[in-house]
Amino acid sequence: MPADARLEIQFATLEQQGDTAQVGMWIFLVNETIFFGALIFTYFLYRLTYPHEFAAAAKDTVFWAGTANFVILVTSSLTMVLAINAAAQEERPNQMIGWLIVTVGLGFLFLGVKGYEYYLDILDRVVPVVHFEVKPGEGSAGELFWVFYWIATGLHAIHLTVGIGLLLYMLLWRIRRGEITPAYYAPLEVVGIYWSFVDTVWLFLYPCIYLVGRS
Amino acid sequence: MTIGPNIDARHATALPFVIAWIVILVLAGISAWTAFLAIGIWAPVVQFGIAAIQTALLFILFMRLKGSPSLKWIFAGSGFFWLLFLYGLSMTDYSNRQGWPPTQISSQPPRQGDIGGD
Repeated sequence: MPADARLEIQFATLEQQGDTAQVGMWIFLVNETIFFGALIFTYFLYRLTYPHEFAAAAKDTVFWAGTANFVILVTSSLTMVLAINAAAQEERPNQMIGWLIVTVGLGFLFLGVKGYEYYLDILDRVVPVVHFEVKPGEGSAGELFWVFYWIATGLHAIHLTVGIGLLLYMLLWRIRRGEITPAYYAPLEVVGIYWSFVDTVWLFLYPCIYLVGRS
Repeated sequence: MTIGPNIDARHATALPFVIAWIVILVLAGISAWTAFLAIGIWAPVVQFGIAAIQTALLFILFMRLKGSPSLKWIFAGSGFFWLLFLYGLSMTDYSNRQGWPPTQISSQPPRQGDIGGD
């Protein structure tokens, strides 16, 4: 398929089309920033109001799982960007596919660790409303911490699942059809920007959830 | 004039990204370490400061904020601006509420309106 076959009529060049796609994703990410930013702001209001209760509640989070997922996500951002580099450099199409498969694998690994962590949380009775036990020192305000935990990590996991879906769409549809080439790889680049943004959210959730009340 | 490594996907090598990845993980190690130190209020200050540095590395390198089109900076900057606007306006309210944040930590269940004090 010739490169100009993918040029939409409103654009003069593929470069302009790709630049517009990138800017479009950044506009979407402004919304996402406000979305997660408001959530984290609410967390800080409650943490300032109930610092001891939040510290007592956060001690029950699974530190190793949060830390492992931090490493997994940051590594997946690296493999994603290496896939985009390979897509842009003609001599390395197999590397692009390889790095994308690794990225998808790391995404599933993150969800697997998260799922196991949820299982441990349920065993520990820290599911607000449905399966919750107030621990010593937490008071009932500790439940607020766990409300934040489930909402924030749940929303993050949904975003990551969307990212995995987009990567699979790239692998199984766009790349197979030969639509990602060194002449035009903007769709993959846009997915990469989204993927790293989801990683960024975890950079802030990690200290909010897993680094509180440890000392 | 280009400052720093060329991260344009057509010419980039893996090295700048691998270095950034190592820096982010080392910073994460420092952040996790501070959680186990009895340094009080400085622990979250350091941890969220580190998160901001890690975010800058991800935005500039991994999300290629560095490089064309420059228009990306306007939208990335506007996200940051609106976030500050949201936080600033909200804090003008909370910072003027009496008794917030509380100096005495309650072990009682929160009452309605507790978060705002009087």
